[in-house]
Amino acid sequence: MKDITAELLADYLAGKMPELRDIRIEGLARLPMGASRETFRFDLVHTNAAGMPETIKVILRRDPPASNVDSDRAHEFAAYQAIYGHGIPVPRMLLLETDPAPFDGSISLAEDIRGFHNSEYQLQTPEWAGRLPHVAREMWSTMGRLAAVPVEKLDLSFTRPATRENTAAQELAYWTAYLDRHDIGAEPIIRAAIRRLERWQPVAEKLALVHGDFRAGNFLYDDEGNLRAVLDWEMAHCGDPLEDLAWSMTRTFSFGKNDKRSGLATHEEAVRIWEEASGLTADPPALAWWELFNCVKAQGIWNACAHVWMTGAGNEIIHAYAAWWLRNAQDKAALELMGHL
Amino acid sequence: MKPGVEQVAGELARRLREEILPELTGFRANVAAMGAELMTMIAEQWDSAAANLVSENREFRGIVQRGSELLGDEALAAAAAGTDEDLRISALTAENDRLRAALTGLHARVEDTEGEAARALDTAIWAALRRSVEVRRVGSANF
Repeated sequence: MKDITAELLADYLAGKMPELRDIRIEGLARLPMGASRETFRFDLVHTNAAGMPETIKVILRRDPPASNVDSDRAHEFAAYQAIYGHGIPVPRMLLLETDPAPFDGSISLAEDIRGFHNSEYQLQTPEWAGRLPHVAREMWSTMGRLAAVPVEKLDLSFTRPATRENTAAQELAYWTAYLDRHDIGAEPIIRAAIRRLERWQPVAEKLALVHGDFRAGNFLYDDEGNLRAVLDWEMAHCGDPLEDLAWSMTRTFSFGKNDKRSGLATHEEAVRIWEEASGLTADPPALAWWELFNCVKAQGIWNACAHVWMTGAGNEIIHAYAAWWLRNAQDKAALELMGHL
Repeated sequence: MKPGVEQVAGELARRLREEILPELTGFRANVAAMGAELMTMIAEQWDSAAANLVSENREFRGIVQRGSELLGDEALAAAAAGTDEDLRISALTAENDRLRAALTGLHARVEDTEGEAARALDTAIWAALRRSVEVRRVGSANF
């Protein structure tokens, strides 16, 4: 992969943004964010139309040659654009480059919302203990408001179409195929989960833009614990909003290693906050279906991390780490949900 | 004798975490932190890895053999045959994967088979899978 340098970026942006003069790139650094994309931060310094110096704070994400999720810059860019302005705080998108030539991979540029936190681990430190109920309310109420956004008002042409009746079966088929494509060995527990999920699927109360990875670690929060922006929309799709609620409660995301889901609140508290904010009902059998489904989806992602290494497609440490750390815990979560732990 | 893998990998992880990580920032710090966690997991699993695989393979063979008898399936009997003579982790893991595949197929058939013997075998399969998850538990895992 080509190194992303200040010179390379300045030359590229001068061609793409001729209205900005005297472009300089300052403070370029790769950020430790996510297993699926490379993320960089920089200041775009330029002279504006009035001849005054101006700085735009920018996040750059690049598609790597090997990833653990099937998504690309165009998909995430479109997801952000779809939800922007609909009451869910997200960064503004600035530029999409789908030609891999300039940077050895597609890139997107977005507004960099700085000065906030995103660490799910920081929330587990003693200093944050008193603020966790507020963070929990912020997270699940934002998720609930996302669920309530009418899909008719959103441009979801970037994602696979879905109906209330078929979304569960469609997502199950998608992630089962994903597991098959990233086969790293037999999965007796997850295959048993798939057989169970195939016997019955819930009908969604309503369709929504499903974020696909909404959990602690994928939003920015301030010192008071207010949620400032929801990030990482690369798995966004049209579907049942219970999928997001269930994903946020996956045991592998219990960062406090206790019963608090996403390290923030109990299952019951999370559901109550989400129902209040969404105006929807988290029907227990339907939610249970989506929770087990998310074990299939998550294991597909962790297996894809292992697959990257085992096929020689890549050697990012985060992929090896995720495969070692998460796969057995995901099996255990599936066992619990099937009543066999 | 020489220092054991658990001891050396554990110490490497500790130094990476406590001495090198504080000197780093951003992406490199994250890589070092995950490297330390990986070393800790390697240290944790090294000594018992072969023993656990041999034990699990033995249990899986027994279950697949029971399945062969329940369903009258010679292919399952063949799948249940064998012993772990090659004790390299790679060989034991490959055999474990082969047995897990046989177990997965058997489990699906047992679920669709009526009768007390099938229910008992189903219970035995879940118990074996539960033991497998317990043995493989990562100390730092969230669950």
